[in-house]
Amino acid sequence: MAVAGRGSLKGRVVGQRWYTPYLFLVPGLLLYAGMFAWPAVIAIQLAFSDYDIVNPIRWSGLDNFTRLVHDPRAWIALRNSLLFVVMFLPLTVVAPLFLALLVNVKLRAIQAFRMLYYLPVITSMVAVAVAWKYVFNREGVVNWLLQLAGLGPIDFLFDRHWALPTVVLLEAWKNAGLFMMIYLAGLQAVPAEHVEAAEIDGANRWQRLWHVIVPALRPTFAVTLILSMLEAMRAFESVYVLTRGGPLDSTLTLGYYIWSKAFEDYDMGYASSVGLVLWAIMIVLALVNLAITRRKDA
Amino acid sequence: MAARRLYRRSPRLDRRTVRRIAFYLLLIAVAALFIGPFLILVSSAVKPATQDVFGFPPDLIPRPPVLDWFREAWTAIPYARFLLNSVIYVGITVPVYLVVSALTAYPLARIAFRGRGLFFLLFLSIMFLPGELMLIPRYLVMGQLGLTDTFASVILPAILSSLGIFLLRQAFSQIPDEIVEAARVDGANEFAIFWRIAVPIVAPTLAVLAILGFVSVWNSFIWPLVTLTSQSKFPIALGIAYLSGVSGTDVRGLAAGTVLSLIPVVVVFLLLQKRILNSMGGAVKG
Repeated sequence: MAVAGRGSLKGRVVGQRWYTPYLFLVPGLLLYAGMFAWPAVIAIQLAFSDYDIVNPIRWSGLDNFTRLVHDPRAWIALRNSLLFVVMFLPLTVVAPLFLALLVNVKLRAIQAFRMLYYLPVITSMVAVAVAWKYVFNREGVVNWLLQLAGLGPIDFLFDRHWALPTVVLLEAWKNAGLFMMIYLAGLQAVPAEHVEAAEIDGANRWQRLWHVIVPALRPTFAVTLILSMLEAMRAFESVYVLTRGGPLDSTLTLGYYIWSKAFEDYDMGYASSVGLVLWAIMIVLALVNLAITRRKDA
Repeated sequence: MAARRLYRRSPRLDRRTVRRIAFYLLLIAVAALFIGPFLILVSSAVKPATQDVFGFPPDLIPRPPVLDWFREAWTAIPYARFLLNSVIYVGITVPVYLVVSALTAYPLARIAFRGRGLFFLLFLSIMFLPGELMLIPRYLVMGQLGLTDTFASVILPAILSSLGIFLLRQAFSQIPDEIVEAARVDGANEFAIFWRIAVPIVAPTLAVLAILGFVSVWNSFIWPLVTLTSQSKFPIALGIAYLSGVSGTDVRGLAAGTVLSLIPVVVVFLLLQKRILNSMGGAVKG
């Protein structure tokens, strides 16, 4: 390898040794090994072991996975994570497209509005969750609006039917600006002539959107769809800060279940096996998404 | 007067003005949706003790606005300490992140060598190892390295990201060959070319990555929560969560502390918003 590399490179580049590129990669590779590869190996090892931090790691074969199948809370967590995805997708794949259409105009002030819509993206989940606790409090603004409409009040974060939708809404709200910008980039790549041609042919606003813009945005949809699914599957910080999985496990997602098993119960082996399952689900989702978008392109 | 004259002369123009105003109202209504929660937070933070934070109808205008709660947040918890910690975390992580990302991306873009494609795939695979799933194994690795509860344990995992390598690889590969060749003819070695020629050319990309890195380190919460046990090393986001734990019912103090934690990131955003927004459109986060 070294000989071939030296031969082919020295002919073209003066003053460059065969190992030069590898020298550049050393810091990155060290960090990769220490912070990604080695932890990944440990994660897989732990999933097939018993470990409680105090006692040494003990191989336990498939025990964790048989336990997982018979663990009702694991099934609740899986159900909640899937519910999360189902509620999250329309809010992050569809709604931000309209947001992007709204700000895709030439106005002097439009940059300021884009900026305001983007603000939640750059703020910490802890801070926005605190803000939401004021808004969705029993005596908060949302309940006041509901009261004006003759509804409520609703204990959004303490009602087992409302807690999960509220957490989903927070995640969607926080990420809407990011998805808006992704769509905006997609929209600006749609050829203006196509839209104008449709307009001349008498297509109204909705027809232009549905028949011209949406098909042209297909690659963008592929990106937002996968980002959205992965974001929903690993939702954790929002749950941690808003509800801690409660009330009555109604916001217990897979991500939160892993954290709570590992760092509250110190049941690290079992938590890792749940993590491995979540990992597998995420990779399958990514592959399915890839397959679907590939097929549509063909 | 002027409006009436305009209307007489051209009713179409007037309709356009109305539509324009309606459009602005729509934009403002949507904006209220996104900044409303922050405004409520700020209003709670400056309300005097005699005024309800909650209640029907919501009473959002503080009478009079007071700064007591900021003082309380500042003194009730080691707020300045958390703030300083976050500055340290950002100050070390971001420059190291930029250097390591550039070093890694450069050969992947500019040097033909064995295994280049494989190395690129390796670094891209970071995308499929999300931090949430690495919490447990990283916690153990930090234990093995003897780094649990240190600044290093917070900094190390944040240095390598697939987004940084990906964007810089793009930027490096767009540098014209003639510039690099000229330097080679002058006898510059590869590292000199990298540092003196390539890095300055990709400065705009580095700036974007610096901003994104700043935002992500400033907001980091869950990994520090796992790896840190001493409160004296908490970054600000963790400090806010801690504040919400200790002050319990004091809704005004919590609001004030949260507002304080938002200020640096919002200021950076306001100063550099054009760059951030443009970059986020193009670069899908990894």
